[in-house]
Amino acid sequence: MALKQVSSSKCFGGLQKVFEHDSVELKCKMKFAVYLPPKAETGKCPVLYWLSGLTCTEQNFISKSGYHQAASEHGLVVIAPDTSPRGCNIKGEEDSWDFGTGAGFYVDATEDLWKTNYRMYSYVTKELPQLVNDNFPVDPQRMSVFGHSMGGHGALICALKNPGKYKSVSAFAPLCNPVLCRWGKKAFTGYLGTDQSKWEAYDATCLVKSYPDSQLDILIDQGKEDEFLSDGQLLPDNFIAACTEKKIPVVFRLQEGYDHSYYFIATFIADHIRHHAKYLNA
Amino acid sequence: MEEGAGEAPGLGRSAASKDFRFYHMDLYDSEDRLQIFPEESTRMRREGVQAEMTHEPMRGGVKGKAPGDLGEEVDELVHPYGLEDDHELGDEFIEENTPRIEVSEYPSYMMMGSEQRDWRLTGETAQGEDLGFMGWGSAGQCQDLREAYRYSHGRASEEYECYVIPEEEDEEEVADIFCVTCKTPIRASEKDQDEHKQHEVTPLSKALESAKDEIHKNMYKLEKQIIEMENFASHLEEVFITVEENFGRQEQNFESHYNEILETLAQKYEEKIQALGEKKKEKLEALYGQLVSCGENLDTCKELMETIEEMCHEEKVDFIKDAVAMADRLGKFLKTKTDVEISAQPDFEDQTLDFSDVEELMGSINTIPAPSAPVINPQAPNSATGSSVRVCWSLYSDDTVESYQLSYRPVQDGSPGKEQTEVTMTIKETYCSVTNLLPNTQYEFWVTAQNRAGLSPTSERAVYMTAPCPPIIKSKEIRSCEEAALISWESGNLNPVDSYTVELTQAEMPGASGVTESVVGIPTCECLVQLQPRQSYTIYVRALNVGGPSARSEPATVHTTGSYFPLDKHTCHPRLTVSEDGLTVVRSERRGPPREPVPSDAHFTRCAAVMGNLIPVRGRHYWEVEVDECLDYTVGVAFENVPRQEDLGANRLSWCMRHTFASSRHKYEFLHKTTTPDIRITVPPKKIGILLDYENAKLSFFNVDISQHLYTFSCQLPQFVHPCFSLEKPGCLKIHNGISMPKHITFY
Repeated sequence: MALKQVSSSKCFGGLQKVFEHDSVELKCKMKFAVYLPPKAETGKCPVLYWLSGLTCTEQNFISKSGYHQAASEHGLVVIAPDTSPRGCNIKGEEDSWDFGTGAGFYVDATEDLWKTNYRMYSYVTKELPQLVNDNFPVDPQRMSVFGHSMGGHGALICALKNPGKYKSVSAFAPLCNPVLCRWGKKAFTGYLGTDQSKWEAYDATCLVKSYPDSQLDILIDQGKEDEFLSDGQLLPDNFIAACTEKKIPVVFRLQEGYDHSYYFIATFIADHIRHHAKYLNA
Repeated sequence: MEEGAGEAPGLGRSAASKDFRFYHMDLYDSEDRLQIFPEESTRMRREGVQAEMTHEPMRGGVKGKAPGDLGEEVDELVHPYGLEDDHELGDEFIEENTPRIEVSEYPSYMMMGSEQRDWRLTGETAQGEDLGFMGWGSAGQCQDLREAYRYSHGRASEEYECYVIPEEEDEEEVADIFCVTCKTPIRASEKDQDEHKQHEVTPLSKALESAKDEIHKNMYKLEKQIIEMENFASHLEEVFITVEENFGRQEQNFESHYNEILETLAQKYEEKIQALGEKKKEKLEALYGQLVSCGENLDTCKELMETIEEMCHEEKVDFIKDAVAMADRLGKFLKTKTDVEISAQPDFEDQTLDFSDVEELMGSINTIPAPSAPVINPQAPNSATGSSVRVCWSLYSDDTVESYQLSYRPVQDGSPGKEQTEVTMTIKETYCSVTNLLPNTQYEFWVTAQNRAGLSPTSERAVYMTAPCPPIIKSKEIRSCEEAALISWESGNLNPVDSYTVELTQAEMPGASGVTESVVGIPTCECLVQLQPRQSYTIYVRALNVGGPSARSEPATVHTTGSYFPLDKHTCHPRLTVSEDGLTVVRSERRGPPREPVPSDAHFTRCAAVMGNLIPVRGRHYWEVEVDECLDYTVGVAFENVPRQEDLGANRLSWCMRHTFASSRHKYEFLHKTTTPDIRITVPPKKIGILLDYENAKLSFFNVDISQHLYTFSCQLPQFVHPCFSLEKPGCLKIHNGISMPKHITFY
């Protein structure tokens, strides 16, 4: 599991790096971005995983969100993996932007065609943390996860499926109830098959209902002018209702005027980093 | 007489000097020394000191040159002490002790030292005699005497310097070690020889070092002694002057008294002489009158006799006729009583001379005159208490006073008609603590002195003021935060006081200093005091006026943990009630008429709200509010002048979180200017934490139980804001303040 450094740039006193490695789970070369805050030079830091949305690579977040200053100040190592395996030569892999390459949906595929490579859930919850813990000055006990859109869905399910593993979770315009939206249905059918009961294991709203009574503070920002919100892809109300019923703490902020873009993310990224820092640095 | 006084010390002085000279001559027979000018004496003395240090055997009349280096070193020692200056030596006669003491340190010179002292005694005796004379002289003369005295002593010391010269030794061979036993520098080569063989030796430089130390010490002692003696001399001078004045005064006193007696006697003599003359004249006049009338009677008798004799020679008929008429006339004449009593006695009537007034005058010569008016002092700072003042006055030093009459009355502040009682008391001392007075009140005092001779005139009147009553801290209105506390109090005095002092002591805790700090000169009944975070303080207030500080107020306690504020009942909407502790707001179920509001313009009229009084300190303030999940409430902050007829959050002067619960749905709004962001919260908070951060211009809300951040306003707060609370439905809000900030808060 040798790491190959692809790039390294100084940023807010720390270093924004990109590495490449051979993934065991995904059976392909994978890139991921690491931000090492200044504090990492002298001690172990908490680590915060960012899961990107559809079509993204590790680059989008690190170049567009402007998270570095907040991460530098709070002393957080931030890991941003790619969104899917790449170059696996699976038929149909490149056919659409919302399935296959750039659209791993953070599930472990069970369908024959995809199950060898498309194990993004295991990759982001097991292989990557292990790799990070082994190679960077991080405290394995202190990790959190957040993401955007499909990555928001990924962040929510990672947290909800692993009570206590993540200190906190937050999301920008997440797919809250993928089993009920077109993107989700397409992806889950493709990766998991047609048995919808299997899908629920990767659906945040469904997972909330079986989530044990464990403290988890969820922060969600949603642009009010997000086209995918009105399109019914995100369905935050379902998630909020489920959380209200199960008394899982959520603060959901419907942000007037914002859309689904990284401009929206950049606006509130500092709030989210602080949200995680509060639990990671407690 | 004055001339005599001038001469007498002169004699004494010359006698002393002469003795001294002879002493010299006796010892050294070196008359030429006496001619040495004072300028030379420095060098001489220096050399003399050197000689003492080296302990060379003294050989009279032999003059040698001290080794240059030692001389210089001594020079260095001497210089800082100002001993080199001959003028100074001349002026400060005490300095003449310098050589003496130095000498006495070394046994080989003890003899001379003591002899020198002997001389000094003589000199002092002479001086003492001089002083005896001076008592009769004028102050100016006294000065002359002193100078003369100094001069003679100055001379003496100079000459003393001279006499040491012979001690200084020519050293043919350079000594390099010092024999401690013999106290003599020797050459190293001598060490193994004869007498020094068994002796303890030290290097010469070391010996020199210790000798120098010794000299330093002595010089220091001398320095001190000089100062003491100078002080003593100036004190003596003062005493001279005082004696002078006192005796002069007594002289005048006698003169005036004797003159008075003589005048009285003369006057009495005049009176007596005059009275005597008058008496004499009166008596003589009376006697003369009597003599005249006696003569007249005699004439009449004679005439009658003649007439009767003539009658006897007349004819019978005529005789009879005339005899009858004669008998009538004679009868009449004889009936008139002839006064033969002497109307005035020739002897002098016994006149007692009354000398009682003269005797009294004579007696009063030896007694004292009636005292002059005492001088009453202005009030001394901090000398008064709330019920007493300490009044002080003074008498003229030559007055004898048996007692004083101190009177006082309150100063009237322009309210006539009311008779102010005047109190007088008799006091032996020149001060009195007058008690049982009213606090913070001006009293006018005056004093007269009296003795056997009578009463003095009245002193000037002085106004004294009693200290104020202690203020009363409004404990329930104390506000505090981690850095400060705002204390307010009631004056406790009807009249205004000058200022207030706040005293604060850290409560007894390990590590607490226990020091009392004071904030002084506070003009109003309110003070913002800077404090250390997370401590407990006991606070007292005193009121001050010219008379002094009042007693401490009752203590109040302040804890600088978190921010503490009481609710302001003046702002309370009539539907709301605030609990006794000022921290619970209740809106009751009762639909009856609202309670009578506190008469004030400050209370809310539309929304059922109340404001807290937060300390006006820009920093971070945190408090919590316990709510019912289903209660409709509004919590937040508002400027003091927020419109009372508007809902909280409905204007630009307030920032609030509003919860409404309708059809089993919770709605949370974060209102400012009636607008709110769209925020949904899945777990209804039971306790809301509110963080007001002036520095970062933020107001944040939290769900305390799960440390959840709910919302943060960015709000510019140019003025201070106050917490506000509102209940739209019956229920209650419980405010928790004075609590430390949870850690998660620090991220916002």
